[in-house]
Amino acid sequence: MAFRKMVETVPVEKREVLSDKLIDLVLTSKNDEKMPAGLANTLLYHWQRNLLASDAGLVSLLEAAFLLEPDKTIEVLEQEFQLVGTVKAVKEVFMKAEK
Amino acid sequence: MINVVKFGIEFVPREPYWKIIYYAIQAERRGFDYLWITDHFNNRNVYVTLAATAIYTNKITFGPGVTNPYLVNPVVTAQAVATLNEIAPGRVVLGIGAGDKTTLDCVGVEMQKPLTAVQESIEIVRRMMNGESVVFEGDVFTMAGAKFLFKPRGKIPVYVGAQGPKMLELAGKIGEGVLINACHPKDVGYAVDCVKRGVSESGKKLTDVDIAAYTSFSVHEDLKKATKASVPVVAYIVAGSPSVVLERHGIDLKKAEEIREALKAGEWGRAFGLVSSEMIEAFSVCGTPDMCIERINQLLKSGISQFVVGSPIGPNVRKAIDLIGEKVIPHF
Repeated sequence: MAFRKMVETVPVEKREVLSDKLIDLVLTSKNDEKMPAGLANTLLYHWQRNLLASDAGLVSLLEAAFLLEPDKTIEVLEQEFQLVGTVKAVKEVFMKAEK
Repeated sequence: MINVVKFGIEFVPREPYWKIIYYAIQAERRGFDYLWITDHFNNRNVYVTLAATAIYTNKITFGPGVTNPYLVNPVVTAQAVATLNEIAPGRVVLGIGAGDKTTLDCVGVEMQKPLTAVQESIEIVRRMMNGESVVFEGDVFTMAGAKFLFKPRGKIPVYVGAQGPKMLELAGKIGEGVLINACHPKDVGYAVDCVKRGVSESGKKLTDVDIAAYTSFSVHEDLKKATKASVPVVAYIVAGSPSVVLERHGIDLKKAEEIREALKAGEWGRAFGLVSSEMIEAFSVCGTPDMCIERINQLLKSGISQFVVGSPIGPNVRKAIDLIGEKVIPHF
């Protein structure tokens, strides 16, 4: 639910490029062991249907990117895409989860 | 003249299944015809990875590249490929070779009579796939009525993984295909001549056998980046190559020995630093898309019908697959 809200803050014209960046982060990450099997299968489901830039695809990509490479993901969202609102939403989710 | 070359891609399941399957879907979309998954006991299981590949892809042909008859009994290999062929009918191939001595030594398995072992195992796999009750008295394998309790479907083309002259000849004689571990036209030309001898002995036509160059490949628009990615793989190839092959390429045997020692000692920096441009030229297909196209053309003239893109593929695997799909495959 929280990741879906984050995706809503991403402008439509940036979704394709963002999904490209995020999948790169996920595929080149050395933190493979942090990927839950269920999430991996969801990603493959969307990739098989070419839907990684869709709302549902981006939700799973963001979740995976934050799990595997949180710092790099924040950097990409803030610096390359100027998605400050998205990052703020993410941080709020993480703060709530920590409480 | 129109070249009819097929493109294959190799993945090593040291990577988790979801990365391999991502790349498999991408490779299929980008025009690759074949997908080969390596089989080593110390990586993830080849057939589990292939089963996932079967489910997530639609048209790419795939198989182990290559399994061996020492760690996997041929009846189990037959069972695995027969089951895969139920999931993806007509898309399964079997790559089989003698295996590599270092890996077998690790588990205390002796590489006995490699030619005979490969030949016998292929015969057993084929007979099992025919639904026979296999009674077999070979020099390496014995079967006393091995038979599936289900009806296997279809035929599985067998590709023999080969490097030495005798195995290459055997591959030409009994295989539907051959996987040649070589990147340079000199090595591939030599290997194809050996395969031809086997083909003519069997009475087949050369076009009946799919001759694949299974290469170490690295592509990037920036030559330096492509080269940097290929260096570690080339270091291992040099370390594992026999003197006769190194001499064929004018490579200093002392330098090769130094690389071998450095790798054994875990001194990666020293080992990789010793890799020369001659070594990269001899043991990889590496460079910009145009440079790779030129080398593939040379290999085609040497007689191959399939070009397999193997590790490292490029500094970034996903981007390299896109680059191959956009700039290399359409050229042929």
